[in-house]
Amino acid sequence: MSAKSPVKKTTSAKNESFKRLQKWEGEFNKCIRCGYCYELCPIFKSFNWESSTPRGKLLLLYGLLSDEVKPSADIAEKIFECFYCENCTSNCSAGVPITDILTDARKDFIDASFDVDGTTVTIDEDRCSACGMCISVCKSEALSFVENELGERKVDVNKADCKGCGLCISTCPSGVPYQKEGFGVTTDELETQITNFLNTNDKKIIVFCCNWSIFPGLQMSESPTLINTSYGVIVTMCVSRVTPELVLHAFKEGAWGVMVAGCPAGECEHDGNYKARRRLLLLKNLLTQLNIESERLRMGWFSRGESVKLKQAMDDFVDDIEKLGPIKYLSMISYW
Amino acid sequence: MKLDVEKLKGILGEKNVSDSPADLYVYSSDASVHQAKPSVVIRPKTIDDVQQVMRYANKNKIPVVPRGAGSGTSGHAVPIDGGIVMDLKRMNQILEIRPEDMLVKVEPGVVDDDLNRALQPYGLFYPPAPASSRIATIGGEIATNASGVRSVKYGATRDCVMGMKVVLANGDLVNLGSNTRVHSSGYQLERLIVGSEGTLGVVVEATMKIIPLPKYRCLAVADFKKLEDAGAAITDIISSGSQPSLLELMDGIGIVAVNKALDLGLPEVGAIILFEADGNVKEAVDYEMQKMKNICEKHHGYGIEMSYDAKERQRLFGGRKKLFASLSMYKEGIVCTDLADDMGVPTSKIAETAKKIHEIAKKHNVIMAVYGHCGSGVIHTKIMFDVKKHSQWDEAEDVVNELYDYVHSVGGVTSAEHGIGLSKAPAWKKARKDILPMMKAIKMALDPNNILNPHKLMDAPDNWVKSTNLRYRVMS
Repeated sequence: MSAKSPVKKTTSAKNESFKRLQKWEGEFNKCIRCGYCYELCPIFKSFNWESSTPRGKLLLLYGLLSDEVKPSADIAEKIFECFYCENCTSNCSAGVPITDILTDARKDFIDASFDVDGTTVTIDEDRCSACGMCISVCKSEALSFVENELGERKVDVNKADCKGCGLCISTCPSGVPYQKEGFGVTTDELETQITNFLNTNDKKIIVFCCNWSIFPGLQMSESPTLINTSYGVIVTMCVSRVTPELVLHAFKEGAWGVMVAGCPAGECEHDGNYKARRRLLLLKNLLTQLNIESERLRMGWFSRGESVKLKQAMDDFVDDIEKLGPIKYLSMISYW
Repeated sequence: MKLDVEKLKGILGEKNVSDSPADLYVYSSDASVHQAKPSVVIRPKTIDDVQQVMRYANKNKIPVVPRGAGSGTSGHAVPIDGGIVMDLKRMNQILEIRPEDMLVKVEPGVVDDDLNRALQPYGLFYPPAPASSRIATIGGEIATNASGVRSVKYGATRDCVMGMKVVLANGDLVNLGSNTRVHSSGYQLERLIVGSEGTLGVVVEATMKIIPLPKYRCLAVADFKKLEDAGAAITDIISSGSQPSLLELMDGIGIVAVNKALDLGLPEVGAIILFEADGNVKEAVDYEMQKMKNICEKHHGYGIEMSYDAKERQRLFGGRKKLFASLSMYKEGIVCTDLADDMGVPTSKIAETAKKIHEIAKKHNVIMAVYGHCGSGVIHTKIMFDVKKHSQWDEAEDVVNELYDYVHSVGGVTSAEHGIGLSKAPAWKKARKDILPMMKAIKMALDPNNILNPHKLMDAPDNWVKSTNLRYRVMS
């Protein structure tokens, strides 16, 4: 065994660049590292590394403060990987305000000139016409117009404020804002999940669940279970990420029915439920025109904790869809 | 020690090996007070991955520390000699559910609650139920012989283990135990691995007993003005021949903490007892509940609330489930530490021990909460103090020593369900001098190069404060 220094002794925080973090030192000590914070963390579920857990991120920040860890792009990237579902904070009985700490850490990293993406959106400037639709839908006020050196208007992302909900992505008609792959939230990744599920299961029903509202409740509740269900549950970051293209992709790949479950009116932090509802109602009309029964697409709105209601709604949907069987005139959709 | 990270990447793939400063720092601690950085972190997926890594590590004499959820409270997963931390969470498949044989076969990274969710449609469950079941892995539970609230009726992990596949230090794979409920075929080596804290081998597959979910569960809460009365009631319930499926104690400090953390509005009394009975015949459950209720009342228990309803039971139990983390909310400026946190005492000594713990805390000017699965004799304590003050660590050390001297004097054990690791090793070694040579001989026979989780249990340092790094910044 190598020689050990007696006790970690420091008299003050050494890393002066991270001023906002210093006020949280007491909270870092409160964290007992029980790990309950990562039970429902979508970032941890994407990567399965300890450094992706909220507990791990707090530890890294603590290390930065005590100068045991040097600030690096690698660490900054981890800190910017957060969807602000706040499942960690609500699961923390020690009362550590995890997401507030992570937000301050983001600001400190930006001040220290770190430029990383994490789960924040990036604007593809070459394709952006600066129409401002994305700015109008962003409830976090992370997007704004700025002028570049030529006096041209462009859209800027404040990475400290961007919560990665992706509403701007699903709103932009030109596909300008984008998120990095790896978190299972991009259209390509969601399409792959759908295809994989439909190819490997006899059952042909997909349920999209909003990660912010009901999915955590469903996972934690005692009675319903996600295992051996007769449908695939695909978790989205906000129900607004379920675009018509995604639903059509599911039908094209052989799904018999698609259910979209989001937050009730007034409960969606991003107002994504209204947008999803408008979009999917229009899609229902389109389905009828394509000779596909519109009842194959169902929407449902459920508050956090209404897992029993959600489970019942899923079971009812499965019963109804099994009566309908497979889509009869799929050829129409393949032209889409 | 010659560690070739590229060689490990060749075995496991680039994505499953990391020596980045961020990962090394994050894997330097678990839920204990200790901290030490590994040289590399790896994430095997298959038994073959584990075997190849062990062969490589054994040849080059590199320490390997297996790790599950990192929720251990005694420092089992802290690599105090550096080397390889083997994160087994990717080996998370439920391989077989066999209701006809009442067993499951799982990989070590399966999370306890996930297993129970998978068993529920079959009307079955896996009973140990540690409080951390939402993240705790079966591998970690085996390594520490974890138990929890249901241990009073269903026992600990050891009682559920039927067999397991283990990769030894030299990379050999052995298949221990059986698929039968009992066996008398040689040494029960599968039981030797339970509680071995990763020092004898890496569990890569486990065969566990499962049992039918009872039709009825009834949970009750009783308030007590005095902690001693609650302790005496627990002793009486057990000695009366009652069969609780859960029998928990929580003292006034714990109640204040969960009220602060979870806003539960529990009456701030001296102590509460939670008791539960389960079964398939409602009258039998009613009988047990009434019997335990009468005993509580005899010991001045009052305000007894009782419910069969699942939601209501969850409400009644909510505070206890989250108590561990809530304790940090007890008082501003003090922190909840895991030291001397799970002693076991004979059930006749519950009241006496609880009283003694509060006396010791008062004497040393620290706050200690008393709670636990007291029906099984498990008493949890958390020592709460200002971790930034060096003098408070000295006091905490004295508290630990005094407390264990007392526990051992009444015939108790150092650790009932969390394991020895680093924090509890000095007290345990002092109390169990007689078995140390036997344990060392077993370790030497199975791991002659001492690479598997070295310097834990019997080989752990004699003074945890001075010989290991603490994870807190301690001011002078």
